Amino acid sequence: MADAATPRSTRRTFLGWGMAIIITSLTVSGILPILVFLWPPPPKGQTKGPLTIALDTPIDQLSDGQAVKFTAPASPNSAFIMADGGGDNAPGDLAFGGFVVMNQGKVQVLAINCSHLGCSVALNEGAKSFDCPCHGSRFHIDGTVLRGPAAYPLSHLTWKQGQDASTIEVDGLTLGF
Amino acid sequence: MAIPHPREVQMAVVQWLDERYPFTKAINEAMYQRVPNFANAFYYCFGGMVFVLIVLQLVTGILLAIYYVPDARGNPAAAYTSVLFIQNSVYLGWLIRGVHFWGANILIIMVLLHMARVYWTGSYRAPRELNWMVGVIMLLLVLVLALSGYLLPWDTKAYFATEVTIKIAGSAPPAFLGAFIKQVLQGGPVVGPPTLQIFFTAHVFLLPALIVLLMYVHFRFIRAHGIAEPM
Repeated sequence: MADAATPRSTRRTFLGWGMAIIITSLTVSGILPILVFLWPPPPKGQTKGPLTIALDTPIDQLSDGQAVKFTAPASPNSAFIMADGGGDNAPGDLAFGGFVVMNQGKVQVLAINCSHLGCSVALNEGAKSFDCPCHGSRFHIDGTVLRGPAAYPLSHLTWKQGQDASTIEVDGLTLGF
Repeated sequence: MAIPHPREVQMAVVQWLDERYPFTKAINEAMYQRVPNFANAFYYCFGGMVFVLIVLQLVTGILLAIYYVPDARGNPAAAYTSVLFIQNSVYLGWLIRGVHFWGANILIIMVLLHMARVYWTGSYRAPRELNWMVGVIMLLLVLVLALSGYLLPWDTKAYFATEVTIKIAGSAPPAFLGAFIKQVLQGGPVVGPPTLQIFFTAHVFLLPALIVLLMYVHFRFIRAHGIAEPM
């Protein structure tokens, strides 16, 4: 196959490629452990599990269209895990607060994060809506969008009733810092 | 369109750069120096090995600073727990910290071997005395770097070793000078959080900056004088 135009493999090209391989492997073996080291390790003491939350108003005393706000425990520092979500929120994202909502006889637990860019929405008791202070998005008490820029409903949190009507157990994460 | 050969691309880039600053000339002057035959011995490499080790210390030190917390308050203090975290939880943290630790030990050995070689070959003689002096200052800087780094893990060994060191420094005569040195190093009446803060600042900001500056001076002197002929 070799003809006059094909460059012949010489000792020089062999040594050149050999050096290139040695230098490349040395560089890679130097840089690779550094990149591994830079990859953030899981914080010590980070544990998943239900967080027990005491509510200001027991669930059975919530009237229709009423909501009660709660926040994630600060010691140890914890956060809730979203069950679903759209826009800025996604399943598995963390929330530092939420609302227990009584809507047409049904109890819902929503994360506090606006689906637009993640600001904490505020309860508007008069209008029975959640209003975002950042860009003016408004949500119905059941979490659906009343007004943009948010395009997706608020995220739900996975929860179950605690020992009594004023405690709930919400899926969450102890952050470990 | 014909695809240019990689060498054509390379030459175009180099030419573009050289028209703006004579990089090729500068790199050639820096890289291509004749090494005299008498310097072609393993013990003439000790200085270069010191340089490689210092670069290694800078790289691993910067990496450790990503996870290290210089806070000695509380029990256990964040400084101590962050070192445990580097050692046990950070991926390859044991490796990077190990390289920094053993690099520091080997660095001191290599500095001493380099100085022994310079002494043995009489390379400190005129007109190179200034470079010997710069080297001695760098020896002291390396020793102070090792000493200040020893406190940072903030374990019992580090704490009491530093207490002893500060006591020795504080015993310098006359008495008021010793007391002043002790106060400055300790940052308070006992070895405590201010001490760690001072040692951390020295170890991470002040001393590395100084040693890099002096290394530059050292190398400029070597280039100006050339390698000394042995006695």
